Amino acid sequence: MLFLQLLINGLQTGAIYALTAAGFALIFGATRIFHFAHGTAFTLAGYAFLFAWRADWPGWAGVLVAVAAATLFGMAMERFVYRPIQRHEGSFFTVFVAAFGVGIVVQNLIGLFAGRGLATVDTPLSFGTEVLPEIFVAPILWIAIGTAAVLFAALTVFLTRSHAGVALRALAQNPDLIRTYGLSANGLSVLAFAIGSALAAPAAIITAMTSGLNEAIGHQVMLISIAATIVGGIGSLRGAALAGLMLGVAESLALQFVDTQWAEAVSFLVLFAFILFRPSGIFGVAAAR
Amino acid sequence: MNDAPTIRRRGLVAAGLSLPFIRSAAAQQASGEPYVMGTLFPMSGPNAEYGEAFTRGAQLALSHIAADNMLRRPIRLQAEDSQALPQPSVVGMNKLVNVDRAVWVLVSWTASSKAVAPIGDRAKVIMVNGGAVGPDLSGLSPYFWNVIALAHLEVPVLVDYLTRHRNVKRMALVYVDDPLGDAILGQLRTELPKAGGQLVGSFSVPRAAQQFGPVAARVRQTRPDAVYIASFGAQQSQIIKGLRDNGVTQILCSYSAFSIDSVRQLPEAVGALYTTQKLDFESGDPITRRFAADFRARYNQTPVAYHANYYNAAYLFGLLARQLEQANEEVNGESLRQAMLRTRTFDLVGGRGTFDDQGNLMTQMQVNEIKGAGRTEIVQG
Repeated sequence: MLFLQLLINGLQTGAIYALTAAGFALIFGATRIFHFAHGTAFTLAGYAFLFAWRADWPGWAGVLVAVAAATLFGMAMERFVYRPIQRHEGSFFTVFVAAFGVGIVVQNLIGLFAGRGLATVDTPLSFGTEVLPEIFVAPILWIAIGTAAVLFAALTVFLTRSHAGVALRALAQNPDLIRTYGLSANGLSVLAFAIGSALAAPAAIITAMTSGLNEAIGHQVMLISIAATIVGGIGSLRGAALAGLMLGVAESLALQFVDTQWAEAVSFLVLFAFILFRPSGIFGVAAAR
Repeated sequence: MNDAPTIRRRGLVAAGLSLPFIRSAAAQQASGEPYVMGTLFPMSGPNAEYGEAFTRGAQLALSHIAADNMLRRPIRLQAEDSQALPQPSVVGMNKLVNVDRAVWVLVSWTASSKAVAPIGDRAKVIMVNGGAVGPDLSGLSPYFWNVIALAHLEVPVLVDYLTRHRNVKRMALVYVDDPLGDAILGQLRTELPKAGGQLVGSFSVPRAAQQFGPVAARVRQTRPDAVYIASFGAQQSQIIKGLRDNGVTQILCSYSAFSIDSVRQLPEAVGALYTTQKLDFESGDPITRRFAADFRARYNQTPVAYHANYYNAAYLFGLLARQLEQANEEVNGESLRQAMLRTRTFDLVGGRGTFDDQGNLMTQMQVNEIKGAGRTEIVQG
């Protein structure tokens, strides 16, 4: 029974990881920008939902506000931080430091305005009930899995069936060719940031309901997103999503065999194993030397 | 050999330029420059709520010291962000000691305190802890004092209460992987058998862990009567919520870390028990009443143990420095320590307290129960 309970917990955590990792992978895959402030988009979305909830707004309005906060933040980062840096041919390190700096500033602003310490959305959706002996399931589990499944299906349709989606994939393959065809690489880059950041919002809302938010939560989100992107195969959206789910499940199931202390280390053991034995990740293509 | 004159010249220039900044403590005292009181609190990250609470207590003490004209020189509060981590704490302490010339530093966190203690010890700077409870903080240095009851005093009180009044025999522990968590584990292993109880499971979690559903499943398996949570900051609230949301209905309990607002206002924390030193803000003691009234007026918030601890930690400086000023003695770490050893007993918030030989302020303890919406009730003490 412990195994089944851990699997259920792992699926819930994995769905959250999958959503955040897919957003990061979409942005990185399309633009090759190491968007370290993706965790900040997650944090902003979570707090936006929290404020809407505390203001007694309807749930759907809170979701819209959260999605808008994450999307606008992602677009603003592309337009006002990354694009000027790239215009001056800034290095990877410059991009990283800029994103990290923005993350710190936003973290402190949230602490200033929202207060420091844990903030949660108090809802019965996160409260588990015993459905089988020793098996507790909360309604939020089905919401997390359902949301992740619907969003990935929608994203897959968008990337394969729409002109903008195909252009985004082309941007990842060859930005110069995009320009040759008269498409705007900048416009597509903004679109990648908007969609990728928006994907963080549902994960942030679920997190606000389950484990709660604090202003520094973005760093942890980024660690998992980076690990999932590498394990899934850099540039592969479905790889990152699958890897996110896998890391969440592995982290939870590990408790069947090891001490609780090692649960999070399992994620990074998986990452390490992939780097050693399959550096291209699950769906990545090995680069020729 | 050709470089020698250059070095000498550079040395002379450097020495010349630094002359205006080299001033003795006596000269500073004569000029009325402020005393520097340092703070090494987490002001950013998941434990920043504590830093804010600690600072409020210290700030109120300084305003009372100034309002009462206790000292001839003002006090400047110099804050450094420890992030509740040893490495930033060491950087901050070095700056406070070597650049700001602080004579009195308020410290917190077991791991951070242990990291900075050798620096303060070498520089003979008084370090006062009002937040960390690791038992090995006792006697860390002659210049390191505690105005909070350490874990070896907190844990036995709670174990005694739980076994005698709540019929708790089996206890599980969820503890953070750091010196504080290890200390609580050691205390429970020792104290529970003495009271006829048993530690049925101990679950260590990393400092950055955020998901506790799987840990709750493991805790449930041990069939405990109570679960002790030895963590701090945002994580302890996450543990409470994680346990409650995932079927752990037993008593939750902890040490004084539960006295912060985010825990006391958490709906899942209702019924949780925690220990603090004895504090009755409605008592007849004028210092405690003044503290409580002014704290509410200034911050629109009911004070808790941490506010009182750091008030005491800062106010103590005022009491000792006043003694030294009145005796026309220089105020430095060594003279402050000697003044403390001569006096030992002080009237502070919470009542009269006496320092033992190890620099620990000995006070009585109480057990509190969280009643919801920020309210607590003293259930023993």
